[in-house]
Amino acid sequence: MPSSGVRRPKVRAFRLVNGLRVLLAPNDDSPTSSVWVWYRVGSKNEHPGITGASHWVEHMLFEGSPRYPKGTIDRAVLRVGGELNAFTDTDFTAYFTTVPRDHLSVPLDFEADRMTRAAITDEEVARERTVIHSEREGNENWPEFRVEEELFQLAFRVHPYRWDALGRRRDIEQMSAEQLRQYYRQFYGPKNAVLVVAGGFDPRTIEAEVRRRFSPLPPWGDDVSVRDTEPAPSGERRAFLRGPGTTPYIQIGWRSPALADPSTPAVLVLDTILGGESRIFSAGMGWRGRREHPTARLYRALVEKGIAVRATSGWSPRVYPSLFTVQAQAASGVSLDRLERGIESVVSRLTRAGPTPRELSDVRVRIRRGAALAYEGATGTGFRIGYFATLDSVTLEDELYHRLLRVTSQAVQRAAAQLFRPEARVVVRYEPTGATHDE
Amino acid sequence: MSSAGDPLRIEYGREVNGLAIVRQSSPAGAASFSATYVGPAGWGFDPAGEAGTARVVNQLLGSGAGSFDRVALARRLDSAGATLTTECAPESGEVTIWGPAEDWEKLLGLLATVVLRPRFEDADLERVLRQLSERQMREVSQPASRAERELYRAIYPEGHPYRTSGLGDRRSITRIDADRLHRFHRAHYTSGDALLVVTGPARLATVEAVAVRYFSEFDEHRGPTLRMATVRRPTARTVSVRLDGRSEVDIRMGGDSLARSDPNYPAAFLANEVLGGRGQLSRLFQRIRERGGWVYHASSELEAMRFGGHWTIGAGTAPQNAAKVATMLTHELERIERQEIASRELREVRESAIGEIPLALESTADAHELAVEVAYHRLPGDYLLRWPALLRSVRPTEVREAARSAMDPARAVTVLAGPLPRR
Repeated sequence: MPSSGVRRPKVRAFRLVNGLRVLLAPNDDSPTSSVWVWYRVGSKNEHPGITGASHWVEHMLFEGSPRYPKGTIDRAVLRVGGELNAFTDTDFTAYFTTVPRDHLSVPLDFEADRMTRAAITDEEVARERTVIHSEREGNENWPEFRVEEELFQLAFRVHPYRWDALGRRRDIEQMSAEQLRQYYRQFYGPKNAVLVVAGGFDPRTIEAEVRRRFSPLPPWGDDVSVRDTEPAPSGERRAFLRGPGTTPYIQIGWRSPALADPSTPAVLVLDTILGGESRIFSAGMGWRGRREHPTARLYRALVEKGIAVRATSGWSPRVYPSLFTVQAQAASGVSLDRLERGIESVVSRLTRAGPTPRELSDVRVRIRRGAALAYEGATGTGFRIGYFATLDSVTLEDELYHRLLRVTSQAVQRAAAQLFRPEARVVVRYEPTGATHDE
Repeated sequence: MSSAGDPLRIEYGREVNGLAIVRQSSPAGAASFSATYVGPAGWGFDPAGEAGTARVVNQLLGSGAGSFDRVALARRLDSAGATLTTECAPESGEVTIWGPAEDWEKLLGLLATVVLRPRFEDADLERVLRQLSERQMREVSQPASRAERELYRAIYPEGHPYRTSGLGDRRSITRIDADRLHRFHRAHYTSGDALLVVTGPARLATVEAVAVRYFSEFDEHRGPTLRMATVRRPTARTVSVRLDGRSEVDIRMGGDSLARSDPNYPAAFLANEVLGGRGQLSRLFQRIRERGGWVYHASSELEAMRFGGHWTIGAGTAPQNAAKVATMLTHELERIERQEIASRELREVRESAIGEIPLALESTADAHELAVEVAYHRLPGDYLLRWPALLRSVRPTEVREAARSAMDPARAVTVLAGPLPRR
């Protein structure tokens, strides 16, 4: 166990000659094993015309490869009681399978098979197009999705963070199977992948199995770094949306630093003080539903005072500068002007005076406690190890942990001053309309 | 203190003034503990004209108790690395605490304070009512929740606990005040007909002793009785709700079904898994998404509760495909009742359900959910160990019979909510 408070299981790391990074985290007590394949490919690697390609490829990797024809991957996992899924973000795409520990060979076999040899046929691409359309339309039913998509589109003119990982409607309609195959051949392969195996297994046996299955794969995977740089923001940008909904909703974004920026720990602390979530070090069950945070500043200033029914902040550090956001849903009868003034007042106060000693001390306690219980279960372990390894390295977690605990009030204040500049602000307001027609 | 045991075996202890004590071992290597109080405090008990009361009481339990106001309680939990969640359902109200196993006694004490001594402060009540009001609007305006709302209204008669989502309406929540909350709390957060389920390292005798220390002060020891209005047998029909400005139509189909205690439950469970409950293995996923490409999601659920239950199918699709997808869902429902399920298909689904048990034991929180379910339904302590044999004893004809009675297409209500074409 590392000397930090992060109780991560011991990780055996090695790299294959084709570039694949492998991380094994065995836990003999675990009745399950989890296999994660993380590709450093996400919507950041797309361009207009093929937005949504990473997400589409994510779907297509379940639709057939030489030894696993369509439908057989799902069957192979589910018939032994396992679960599998995948998700796509701006900076990465992750595939995971968790199985009872005796069945670990199954996911290792198909992950190797589909890493460079997914079929992506014309017929399956055509069929999946309507599924992806449906996924996007389901999201569009939510005002929050529409607002966030608009916010990023407004904030970025050049950088690919401009579009959502689901892709634009028009691109989903027009992208060809050949374009998808090209995208897959260009970026997917061992050089851009991280394989994590966590849970119950014998590390020697599994290391040998990983080498046997993955070493023969070609060393594919073009450079995934993004060359386009977004110019510094030069003025506030605003958009107004109208549509069905309940009460007015607002999302404000400010250009935020990249993950590797020295101010990242201070911004993470700032996010916790404003919105209440301690994110990567939240105490357990973080993904089991949203909790309210009565100690958070936005909650106290807006929800407690009857201005909003919910209000929080959001920040996921990304490979490139992105957006720090604050979002709030107005209470009935409260205008968006008043709600926006309330949010501005909260961020200005934090910028002016910084956090209180008690706030900082509370955040540190939460980070320590969260880190101590962060690793429980093979699936969660595979996620955490893969997440940090894909964005940087496994030890990033320890570095962040230590740096978070050393963040001072002045550092948070400096980060707030740098972040909450009026010229870096993007605002999207949503006014509800609409009637219901029962038949 | 510690006792490594099998988390699949649930231990029933003695009652503390009527409160049943239930204990489960944490999964091997887990460093956390979890405890849940489950009481007869669901929205099925809402007083007449005061719909929403049960949800408000349940939500306010996390907003201050004993000497802790809302902020102090949040700080206390944060400093312990613990979380507190509340959940309200038609039949029951739950409060769960999760945190480090080494602090389980202190955290159980905190859970008792939350359950037994809520503050119900005026400012908190106002805030929760504002939030409830917004949720009422959201339920009506979002296609998915609107479709569910209309489905249950079509299946269940007025006054039935399963007819609503417990959010109340604009008028009913104006009647809720602190006195009414205290009255509901006294009558429904009782020891009678209630459970305390603890998943952690302590032995049963220790859990019992700690429970006696903390949970002996209930005002009311008798559990109230849930009144169940008789469900009329609806004939199959379709309800359409046009919600302009949305992109996708949400479809819900369903009807009333069996209770968890019904001896046919394992067969009905398998029928639902074959239809749409087992993800990518199920027929709805295979035929409507994988072969047809019509939807992103299509699944089914059998919700068997203590006093009754219902089955539902859910799918979302483009407006122009809504009628076709609804027909396909009906076809699959009819097929499962009309044709015997092939042994191979049944075997595959059954072994998948059995094989997933270790996955449900990955963490204390996962294992605890199973224990609460077993205990709430008063199932035997070794039920999870017997579950594989129960499933393997079900024959294809029994699955078909169960589908016929528990998911009857002749009585299915279909709701389409979203941007439906104008007639």
